[in-house]
Amino acid sequence: MSGQAKIPWVIKYRPKKINDVVNQEEAKAKILDWLKKWPNVAKKALLLYGPPGCGKTSLVEAIASELGYELLEMNASDFRRKEDIERIAMRASTIQSLFASSKKKLILLDEVDGVANKEDVGGLEAIEHLVKITKVPVIMTANNPWDQKLRILRDIAEFVQFKKLEKRDLMKLLQRICIAENIQCNEDALEYIIARAEGDARAAINDLQAVGEGFSEVTLERAKALLRPRDKERDPFETLKLLFSSRYAWQARNVLSQSQLDYEQLKLWLEENIPYQYTNLEDICRAYEALSKADVYLGRIVKSGDWDLLAYAMDLMSAGIALAAVNNPRDKDKWTKYSFPQRISMMAKLKEVRGVREDLSTILARHLHISTSTAKSDVIPVLKVIFTSNTEYAAKLALSLGLSEKMIEILAGPNKHAVLNHYKKLKELLEKRAAEALAERVVRQETKKEESEMKKSKEKKEAKDLLSFAKK
Amino acid sequence: MSTAISELLWAEKYRPKSLKEMVNQEEIVKRLMKFVEEKNMPHMLFAGPPGTGKTTAALALAHDLYGEDWRRYVLELNASDERGIAVIRSKVKEFARSKLPGEVPFKIVILDEADNMTADAQQALRRIMEMFVETTRFILIANYASKIIDPIQSRCAAFRFTQLKREDVVARLKWICEQEKVLCQLDGLEAIYEIGGGDLRKAINILQAAASLGEVTVSNVYKVVGLAHPKEVREILNLAFAGRFIEARDRLRELMVTYGLSGIDVLKQMHREIFSADLKIPEDMRVIIADHIGEIQFRLVEGADDEIQLTALLARLSILGKKIQGKA
Repeated sequence: MSGQAKIPWVIKYRPKKINDVVNQEEAKAKILDWLKKWPNVAKKALLLYGPPGCGKTSLVEAIASELGYELLEMNASDFRRKEDIERIAMRASTIQSLFASSKKKLILLDEVDGVANKEDVGGLEAIEHLVKITKVPVIMTANNPWDQKLRILRDIAEFVQFKKLEKRDLMKLLQRICIAENIQCNEDALEYIIARAEGDARAAINDLQAVGEGFSEVTLERAKALLRPRDKERDPFETLKLLFSSRYAWQARNVLSQSQLDYEQLKLWLEENIPYQYTNLEDICRAYEALSKADVYLGRIVKSGDWDLLAYAMDLMSAGIALAAVNNPRDKDKWTKYSFPQRISMMAKLKEVRGVREDLSTILARHLHISTSTAKSDVIPVLKVIFTSNTEYAAKLALSLGLSEKMIEILAGPNKHAVLNHYKKLKELLEKRAAEALAERVVRQETKKEESEMKKSKEKKEAKDLLSFAKK
Repeated sequence: MSTAISELLWAEKYRPKSLKEMVNQEEIVKRLMKFVEEKNMPHMLFAGPPGTGKTTAALALAHDLYGEDWRRYVLELNASDERGIAVIRSKVKEFARSKLPGEVPFKIVILDEADNMTADAQQALRRIMEMFVETTRFILIANYASKIIDPIQSRCAAFRFTQLKREDVVARLKWICEQEKVLCQLDGLEAIYEIGGGDLRKAINILQAAASLGEVTVSNVYKVVGLAHPKEVREILNLAFAGRFIEARDRLRELMVTYGLSGIDVLKQMHREIFSADLKIPEDMRVIIADHIGEIQFRLVEGADDEIQLTALLARLSILGKKIQGKA
């Protein structure tokens, strides 16, 4: 390795030829066929989907270089906004027509699942537009194309599935790298790496580099010692620890730029854990003030679409919080048990409660001819008193208003079971009475029918009598 | 209490159906009855405090004009709940197109809480009123006539509903108790009037809740009021002032989830609490805290996140709490 520039192995050993991409024969055939026919195809875009590290992007790159396409590549992190996508579309379609002899072009939009988040205002619509007007083939990649947010892509793109890599494929790949790097590799060590990678070639190569680079031998012991169990939550905890312990502004900023967390997640992790790390109230207050201001910037970004502001939000969220421990700087290095943001589980619940409350106030507003806000401020509190103190009466009200179980739960709180029990009994009683009433009506109708039939036959008889009388 | 299977809200059950059943606002009711007789009426503006019979009068008028089928000829809108004037226009348009009742040459649009509309929206409303004047009459309902723009006021016959008197409210509550065969004590009913003022709807709601506790007594009435206005927000404030920041935050989250409150809802409740005499803090602190709450609300309006902002506010209050204790 000496003398040579250190490039990550994932890039160094990226498939360069179509044949280097393994285990995706079906996908390859589909893509090549589609490209050959383009623009005479049903859909002008392809969406390649599959787990990370199975070769989606690599294959497109290999195809482009082998078949002589110029690749216009955009990553999710590049196309934050509509304008960016429109710009590339313009570039692709106009230059193509101006220099007809120039190289064929191919647009690659990588990781489109990343564009669907709320901050990419209009990103998906822009993709839709791009596919509509494009003069060159468009290929997208995604991990999870069934994401609700991506549903418009289903109409405009043909889906091509990529399979997870098999263990033997990964084994071959790693062995090839070991030979190229001149590393003695024990099979059990490679198996360990492969098991952790779960079909992700990128992860496997990264791990191999971590345990193999600079050594001449890869052993199972070293692999186990160097590679910690892959754990998705490792990163947030580490990020927090490094961030809080930062002593310089640049240090805190670096922690953020190296973290796997995006700022939305980071915001929640910090919100949760500031008062666990810091103990002095004034320090806590300073830290929250920084977070609060960062959050205001984030709100402005969403409103204005001006992503330049993100830098300031990040400054406040990193350095602003790291340097808040003025009174008790020793807290910075204190061992802290960080906790998962409560909010994430809370959000779903909150959304549901709000929805139910909204429906409940709509019902009350209709019955009482008032606005829903009056229902919320004037009527719901009073109903709560009834529902928590007189469950039977509450059930009667619930029945006449047609309240749902969830609404009863909101009103009755811990008493909800008692109210619901009464409610069920009342409902049964009501149904019984309704059935009885119905039965009674049927009986009445039948007696009526009998009476009328009797009347009829009587009339007939009379008529007959009359007839026979007339004949006489 | 009654043995019926289902129970209505009394505010609904005892709302007069016909003008003849209305016991208050005699002058207005007399005038409205004339309109029924003539089968004609102008646009109208009913203004007055809450719970004085404005909506009831409008509905009863419609009932008397059109008979039992009245709902077909009445469009009821609440300005606070309709999303913008465009929605109102399209609903009125749709409604105006449907068939006219036989003997009355117009239909009625009741627009409640009209004073919650902006001046611009009211201008647009005025045009709508003119557009459909051939087939519809508007009854606008508002707490404050002064908040209705002049061009609309000049197109409407204005009726001022007056605050109900103590004896009127108490008499009506007593009558309901008799209908419901509920035991009540006169001072209990008086207490309801003290709390609700002349707002009969509010009074009837409290009455029903107090009755559900067994009997309408003074203590039950105050129990209802106490239960209906939970102390959570005050407790959260007190925890913050005591420097128990994490507990305050936990309670805040609990509050938001159980009641489904938004950040602004919580801020408004806090603001109310800050100026309540029950909260024992130095007077100048109230203003300082109000300023903090205002700043946080401003940040929310800017598009910031409810919980982060409220948590930051609690942290500020914790610090203030220290100062309060220092002063005490």
